[in-house]
Amino acid sequence: MSERIKDVVVTVLFLVIIFGVFIISTIVKDKEVSTAERRKLNQFPNISESLMSGNLTDDMENYAMDQFLARDNMRSIKTFVKLNVLLQKENNGLFTIEDKIFKLEYPLNESSVTGISNKINNIYDTYLTENNNVYYTIVPDKNYFLEDKGEYIKLDYQKIEDLMRQTINSNIEYIDIFDTLALDSYYNTDTHWKQESIMNVADKISTQMNFRDRITTEFELKEYGEFYGAYYGQLGKNMTPDTINYLTNEVIDSAVTFNYETQKEAKVYNTQKADTAMDKYDIYLSGATALIEIRNEKATTDKELIIFRDSFGSSIAPLFTEAYSKIYLVDTRYIAPTLISNYIEFNNQDVLFLYSTLIINNSGSLK
Amino acid sequence: MVFSSLTFIFYFLPIVLGIYFIVPFKLKNLVLFIASMLFYFFGEPKYAILMLISIASTYIHGILMEKYEKHAKKFMISSIVISIGLLMFFKYTDFFILNINSIFNVDIGLLKFALPIGISFYTFQMISYIIDVYRKEAKAQKSFLKLATYVALFPQLVAGPIVRYTTIEKELDDRKHSFDEFSNGVRRFVIGLSKKILIANVLGDCINKFNLSDEKSVLFYWIYAIAVTLQIYFDFSGYSDMAIGLGKMLGFKFPENFNYPYIAKSVTDFWRRWHMTLSSCFRDYVYIPLGGNRVSKLKWFRNILVVWFLTGFWHGAAWNFILWGLLYGVLLIIEKVGLLKILEKVPSFISRVYLLLVVMIGFVLFNGESMSQIFENIGGLVGTGNVPLVTTESIFYLKNYASIFIIGFIAATPLVKNLCVKLKEKAPKVVNVLEPVVLTTLLVVCVSFLVDGSFNPFLYFRF
Repeated sequence: MSERIKDVVVTVLFLVIIFGVFIISTIVKDKEVSTAERRKLNQFPNISESLMSGNLTDDMENYAMDQFLARDNMRSIKTFVKLNVLLQKENNGLFTIEDKIFKLEYPLNESSVTGISNKINNIYDTYLTENNNVYYTIVPDKNYFLEDKGEYIKLDYQKIEDLMRQTINSNIEYIDIFDTLALDSYYNTDTHWKQESIMNVADKISTQMNFRDRITTEFELKEYGEFYGAYYGQLGKNMTPDTINYLTNEVIDSAVTFNYETQKEAKVYNTQKADTAMDKYDIYLSGATALIEIRNEKATTDKELIIFRDSFGSSIAPLFTEAYSKIYLVDTRYIAPTLISNYIEFNNQDVLFLYSTLIINNSGSLK
Repeated sequence: MVFSSLTFIFYFLPIVLGIYFIVPFKLKNLVLFIASMLFYFFGEPKYAILMLISIASTYIHGILMEKYEKHAKKFMISSIVISIGLLMFFKYTDFFILNINSIFNVDIGLLKFALPIGISFYTFQMISYIIDVYRKEAKAQKSFLKLATYVALFPQLVAGPIVRYTTIEKELDDRKHSFDEFSNGVRRFVIGLSKKILIANVLGDCINKFNLSDEKSVLFYWIYAIAVTLQIYFDFSGYSDMAIGLGKMLGFKFPENFNYPYIAKSVTDFWRRWHMTLSSCFRDYVYIPLGGNRVSKLKWFRNILVVWFLTGFWHGAAWNFILWGLLYGVLLIIEKVGLLKILEKVPSFISRVYLLLVVMIGFVLFNGESMSQIFENIGGLVGTGNVPLVTTESIFYLKNYASIFIIGFIAATPLVKNLCVKLKEKAPKVVNVLEPVVLTTLLVVCVSFLVDGSFNPFLYFRF
């Protein structure tokens, strides 16, 4: 190729790329949501509003990023370059080992750990008495199960346990579930645990809380479908999807949930919602919400359970259905603890605080 | 708006290039001026008027200087006072208030004005123009549009290179456009974009990790110091490359701003290679008028210290920038009184290590948020504060960013350039085929990083 032709080729290629993207982006209709990233995409900004607020540059760039031609493919290119060409250990804080995606959660935020203890203590002091059996448990994120070869950095889980033991009200009993889990208990592409892999956890909690003997009906495993977890979208790399399953029985099938936010009833496993939801994990208790109640009409007891929880609670709570007439699930990321008494009459309920280390290390998200 | 953004590359640039190459030559400056004002307005709407007022002041003073030659000096001083006055007001007032509050234990309220983007750069350009007119090295520009186009020209508006009026005076009247120049411009732009996105931004991410860490170690302090040293170079030289490239696409030849500064063997040599347009401006408009080195030794040293105090202060309204400038002033004096001769005699390995250490310490000083943090970051390099030698975290980040450091070390030398030149001599056709492929690949990869919303700060916005 001569110098002249090369100059023409470079010029034409550059112009084709910048004009091509500009023209196609202008013609193609903007997308509302990204399925892979499970989020709404930025739309073309209101120029005058953005200009007045001084955010025009940022708003326009956010729009251009979200609506960029073949965005998912471009993100895959970046992931490939970072992980395979530049040989970086992570992309967007995520890394893969074999077919599993992990997220760097580091460093340990000690004030966050004591912060969540204080929040739990406040709830205890405000609503609970010695008539309540109160427990807390810590769900390790899946990094805990990474072999400690010094290859990746992870939280000091022992320190989290120690800090919480030291700072949580001594009337609240700790349930250690670390040894009931393994790496395979978690989805490959998501942060959460698999319901079918947490029977040991359910056993441990129910035994220590003295309601194990009220769970007598066997569970049946049902497959819901393919599941691309939250990490899949964040990483931007083609991977085999997980399968989402759920454990059910006639008690769970007959139970209903009541969502205090939407004031609607639904089944414990809301396949209707999950069919259209961006996050298929919403099959469990219809997904994230401030306050939801599982009503078990077939209960042989009038005992109630209150679980203060994060999203890990959605998939374990159904396994406790048979043991209680009502299970309240409170997510204080979405409801202030001061408002709970408007919906729950506290008396002699069993109470469980169940939080993952991801929330414990970032407890600022709790009200 | 910054060049390394999707908005610039895929919206602003195609629209501007499309209109610019369609309109006849007589309208090209108008297109560039409007585009430049929009470019500025997009990021800093309220200060676009301030820039126009500054340009108008410089324009009127230039005309008056030529018309009333007897009073030329007064007009020159008046113009410089206005330009520097605006710069001082917007950039330095809060610095002075803070220091007055601190010294006299008073509580004067801060103005808290946002710094007008590029004000340090365009102020310098306007001063250089007015002095050149005074010295009769340039004729006063009669066309406001042409002067405004020169000052506001978007490729060099916010971060240089500092283009002197005399450099592009002729090109404002007549410039040629060719595939040759355009493709050279594309090459420079893509290389600059790659330096910025693939090296500087990734290192910036590494620096963020260091700042967030509670587990510092000697190794981590070194990672930080090296990352800062490389990031500042690739960020700024990348931006200069993009500016020069865009200039070429539009028919302008902007001066080079960097010449592999990290291969220098002395501070004297380093400053001949680093931010060359700024150094030459300070030399021609401050150092030489003060008498340069043709004065007594004491005055010569004074001149050096004045220039380097101003260089530091130009970079930012904070003591760390002043100290950074003065550090170089003192080192230059030490080199001039004898160290330079020693450096020339010792093995080049030693002189290079000396230079790199000095520059690295300088940039840790430059990059610090507070003096206590700066002392901590410098002390950490030698293990003060009882920090461990290494931690798991520092080893992880060393491995995570190792490839970027290696690429950075290599790209900071002329090795790749020399290889390309040799390859081109031996197999020009192969290189000509490879070049479009490599440039397209780099562009796509850079865009993929931008699309994924990677860390994308712009260091020189604060200057």
